[in-house]
Amino acid sequence: MDRRGARSRGVNQALVAAAEEAPREADLAFERLYRSSRDDVYAYVASLVRDAGAAEEVTAAAFERAYRKRSRFDPRRGEARAWLFGIARNAALDELRRRGRRAELAAEPADLDGARPDESAAEAERRLAVAAALARLEPGERELIALKFFAGLGNREIADVVGVSESNAGTRLHRAMAKLREACDGLL
Amino acid sequence: MDSSRDDRLTATLEELRPEPRPEFAAELDRRAAAGFPRRSRLAALRERLRALAPHRVLVPVGAAATLLLVVAVALTAGGGSSEDSSESGVGTLNFLNEADGAGESAAEPAEARSDAPAASIQDSAGRLDGAASRAPKRSVERNARLDVGVPADRVPDAAAQALAIVDANNGIVMRSSLEQGSERPQVALFDLRIPSGQLSDALAEFSELGEVLSRKDRSADITAPTVGTAERLQDSRARIEGLLGQLAAASTEAERETVEAELRRERRHAARLRARLADLKRRANLSQVSLTIAATDGSSAGGGWSVGDAIDDAGRVLSIAAAVAIVALAVLVPLALIALLVLLARRAWLRRARARALA
Repeated sequence: MDRRGARSRGVNQALVAAAEEAPREADLAFERLYRSSRDDVYAYVASLVRDAGAAEEVTAAAFERAYRKRSRFDPRRGEARAWLFGIARNAALDELRRRGRRAELAAEPADLDGARPDESAAEAERRLAVAAALARLEPGERELIALKFFAGLGNREIADVVGVSESNAGTRLHRAMAKLREACDGLL
Repeated sequence: MDSSRDDRLTATLEELRPEPRPEFAAELDRRAAAGFPRRSRLAALRERLRALAPHRVLVPVGAAATLLLVVAVALTAGGGSSEDSSESGVGTLNFLNEADGAGESAAEPAEARSDAPAASIQDSAGRLDGAASRAPKRSVERNARLDVGVPADRVPDAAAQALAIVDANNGIVMRSSLEQGSERPQVALFDLRIPSGQLSDALAEFSELGEVLSRKDRSADITAPTVGTAERLQDSRARIEGLLGQLAAASTEAERETVEAELRRERRHAARLRARLADLKRRANLSQVSLTIAATDGSSAGGGWSVGDAIDDAGRVLSIAAAVAIVALAVLVPLALIALLVLLARRAWLRRARARALA
């Protein structure tokens, strides 16, 4: 996570610099943001929409939207990754609204089925238990965990994405983790 | 112990992290490298509309149609205002039947003003029914204001011609002035009285002096005050006759003095009425004409197009452009406010809808 945080700061600084340089620099900064965030955005969006096909569409739409709006990004208003995940969040929630579905934050169901070839039965059981416990959390709590562990955002970035204060985001994340830990008690 | 449990939980969560298909990642990379080329807007719109439920399309479409209808009705109802202009164009004589204040003499008594032209016919039918039955000739007061432009070096000549026209039409020059510029005359002003029967001819002749820059004609029916004053004068004369009879029949000195005093008052009253009647007749017989002959640097009358004309034309164009801009703003500002409100409402609704989608 520290590695991701450092990467986030680097990208943000690059975008800040790009805002003052030539348009080409802005394109390069966006490209760096894209490279560093592509899988993270997909993981977060897939957790929200719980459908691989929809997650791909929403991820592509989110990046396209961010690309079109890249000149409007204001580094004084927050981190670049937080800005990108805000766009992805809106796109995912719009997709959920269109479908009339409720958000259910969890890992992809396909990943939860069965054990991986190289893992033991105990590891597979632990993974299933954590996934089940995650599914029982409130949607908002599951989103925070997805942002933290799937997307690798820091508390400040999470706060920017969900629109709360940093301390509030930290408190809510702590509570969510405590509930998850309690639900998995005995299996970890 | 707790630390290792947290580490295992964190590790498990990271294991649960969904990963994109390599094909999707490659396709997205390709699109990113190409700068996310746009899909056809029409296709995208069609796709979005297809995804929407019918009621979600009908409500905004209905609202937009209603809004358009309201705006159209408002625009239609607001248009068509007309304004009577007292300025007439070249060659048109526009007699306005209005109770004219500007043309009235300052000495006009309030009593006469109450016999306003607009109401004079009704009043004649009632109060002055004797006069009405005799169907008196209408007494109309006419005023005209004429501004004529001539080349600067022609102002004195045009002024002289104007005086000749006045003379030929048996008119009277009440006041005249020839304002001198630094080198030559720039403007000639005339306050004229022209016999009403010859007013049209005189104005036509004045108009031929140069280019008519503006012309204003006014008329006011002063039949009622004229007839009323004439009747009051007749009554007054009858009273004087009567008083003279009383005076002849007076037997005592005191009686004679009383009748003489009353006779003096009545004669003064009759004199005032005569003066007023004469004034009314003069106003009906002689039309007041204000004539201005101004230098136009020869441009307007000469037919050439000078820098001055260009500036005038530019001013007119700017005025029209400003008027159009004001009208456009009057339409656009309310529409922009409505659009802003709709946008804000949509944002608020979208925020709540997204929160509901997650809840």
